[in-house]
Amino acid sequence: MASPEIDEFERLLFDWEDGTLDTTGTARLRDLLRISPEARNVYIQRQMFGAILKLEGEAGIASSNSEHSGREVGTDHARQGDTLLSLRVPNDVADVSMMLHDPKDSREVVHRRYRSLLFVVAASILLCVVLGRWLLVESRLQSAEQGQPAASEAWPGKQEATSAGIALVTRLVDVTWQDAEYEFTVGDALSAGVVGLDSGVAQIEFFCGATVILEGPAKLVLESSTVARLQSGRLRAQVPPAARGFQIHADELRVVDLGTEFGVAVSDGEADLQVFDGEVELHQPNGEQRLVSAGNAITHAAGGVVEAAELTPDEFLGLEALDDRVRNQKEDRYQRWLRHSMELRKDPRIITYYSMEQDRDWKRKLASSVVPENRDLDGAIVGAKRVVGRWPQKSAIEFKRPGDRIRVNIPGQFGSLTFACWVKIDSLDRWFNSLFLTDSYQRGEPHWQILDTGQLFFSVRRGGGPGKGHHKVLSPPFWDASLSGRWLHLATTYDVETKITRHFLNGEKLCEEPIPDKLFVQQTCVGKATIGNWSSPTRPEADFAIRNLNGSMDEFMLFRDALKPNEIRELFIQGRP
Amino acid sequence: MSDTHQTEIFVQQLTECQGRLFGYIYSMLGEHSRAMDVVQETNLVLWRKKDEFRAGAAFMPWALAVARYQVLAHVRDQGRDKCLLDSELVLALSEEVEQQVDQLEIMRLALRKCMSDLPREKMDMLQLRYYRAMPIAGIAKSMGRKVEAVKVALLRLRRGLADCMHRRMLES
Repeated sequence: MASPEIDEFERLLFDWEDGTLDTTGTARLRDLLRISPEARNVYIQRQMFGAILKLEGEAGIASSNSEHSGREVGTDHARQGDTLLSLRVPNDVADVSMMLHDPKDSREVVHRRYRSLLFVVAASILLCVVLGRWLLVESRLQSAEQGQPAASEAWPGKQEATSAGIALVTRLVDVTWQDAEYEFTVGDALSAGVVGLDSGVAQIEFFCGATVILEGPAKLVLESSTVARLQSGRLRAQVPPAARGFQIHADELRVVDLGTEFGVAVSDGEADLQVFDGEVELHQPNGEQRLVSAGNAITHAAGGVVEAAELTPDEFLGLEALDDRVRNQKEDRYQRWLRHSMELRKDPRIITYYSMEQDRDWKRKLASSVVPENRDLDGAIVGAKRVVGRWPQKSAIEFKRPGDRIRVNIPGQFGSLTFACWVKIDSLDRWFNSLFLTDSYQRGEPHWQILDTGQLFFSVRRGGGPGKGHHKVLSPPFWDASLSGRWLHLATTYDVETKITRHFLNGEKLCEEPIPDKLFVQQTCVGKATIGNWSSPTRPEADFAIRNLNGSMDEFMLFRDALKPNEIRELFIQGRP
Repeated sequence: MSDTHQTEIFVQQLTECQGRLFGYIYSMLGEHSRAMDVVQETNLVLWRKKDEFRAGAAFMPWALAVARYQVLAHVRDQGRDKCLLDSELVLALSEEVEQQVDQLEIMRLALRKCMSDLPREKMDMLQLRYYRAMPIAGIAKSMGRKVEAVKVALLRLRRGLADCMHRRMLES
């Protein structure tokens, strides 16, 4: 039905989109567009088609994982709206499998592109939702911060929460990464792309259910939630029946799992396969297939020769052995933290410090860890529970219900301040999610909290007329659902010498902002305050504002000084789980 | 009506029109990341001019007018090396594309139905090309096929799906 002219036009357009059309071709394409109404019609049709597929693609990328991983965030607004770029698609389109068989020329590009694509989507969400939200927050904030409770409101335009990836990093032991740009931490979702280890061990759980233990030096290319390509190094895969069909490509071989445990090693053009349990289907480059069952090993040499080999299961680190290593690492890290914490307690700059360690659950007192001991600084735990902290040896306090809190009373006058804590946020349910809030918010009192937009918020009350009460410093959004359940180190410094407020996440500066003179407060104080919630006793007639944190806190400290960025970094390094 | 409420309505409208804005701008530029840039620029301009917009007025024509202006500015700045359409062609095609994007959601539903019948291999190819923007050469390599064969297959697939989409739209 297409005329030769349209046929030519379509081919030219196709090449242009592919970036392979030369200038003569491009000129011809433009000419056709100018002279032929039919070409213009086809152009519009094809472009609309492309645009819709792009939208579908983005939707697929964005939504596939919350569906697959079951880590959907149950916030009250998460399920509202389906608007921005319509980020939901049916399941059948959602599982985008990537088949990037040539890592040299396409993989990096696509990986980066994929990231930037997500970034663009994220940025436009930012613009539409956060920026709009931000301005609203600003305008509402003034009244709210002047003693009126902040209601938790659903935001009409908010899109469904999404997260990206095809697998999760679940354990890391002594890892050094090959490429600084692709460094991951435990809990990270991995997109299609490369995981390169110089040394150490990484446990990766694919969303299909297969678990892979990768031993460095090694390079694994994740292609989809069911396929990975081992370029070098060794791995052990454990594949429960639910994940049958999981494939590891090694060299020219394809190992298709039939519900089992096996090891694969690739080096110098040789691929070894060892089956420890169950059986796997081996696809050879010549199209031949064979079954390899438990207790058997084969070697695929450079020339394509496949022969039987000796089984050496000990060479492949298993889940149990990894567990020992992880436990050792945890113990080391805990001890490191403990040594550092003991020093910190004696720091003359510390105002109060809750290490949140050791105490029994029935104790409702939160002992201050400051040395020399000062029992007046002990806090009271209300509602909140003790749970396991960053390490199994250590406890943390969990805030869940609207009333959960820790009450403290901190007398004295100060100048500069530093707040720091380890926190695990399950979700940001409230408009304001408290870290540390003084009761009445009088002149000189600080408020430290997180907005539902994932931004750190710090202010010191100055007082005065409406809207002029304080200078708030908001960080860029640092939290989204992908960080749910992860231990994060948060810190904020308020420096009265330089009149600058700085926010930090995991030892890195998020932002800094000068405080304008007319809102600057030299002398700070705390008095009665609440960790993980807000108590506002100055307005007994008002409903109390619900600002409870949904998450856990493990260690909280307040200094009478603005710690330097390297000191904040040290707090993070010494305390990271 | 309060300012806050006005802003809420505005943001809602802005949010709802993102797909159509993208459809329009992508159609004019034909390249994903640049289209996204221009979508963002357009959003910013719309945001800055939000006081000019009155609740109750038609949002989309206004947003598209701003988008057209941004596309023209982009085409002018980037020149013929990067953009297929020049200003003249943008203006010549604009009206028709604006009408088409109005039906974007209907097209999208129609296309989904058409795609649901696709065999796995075709779906993979489509995803690599359109979701992942992989070059044809890369797709050919990954599928172990010749570049020309992949090109023909994709062209045919695209034509078939586009026809199917229009057929389904007419049916409904």
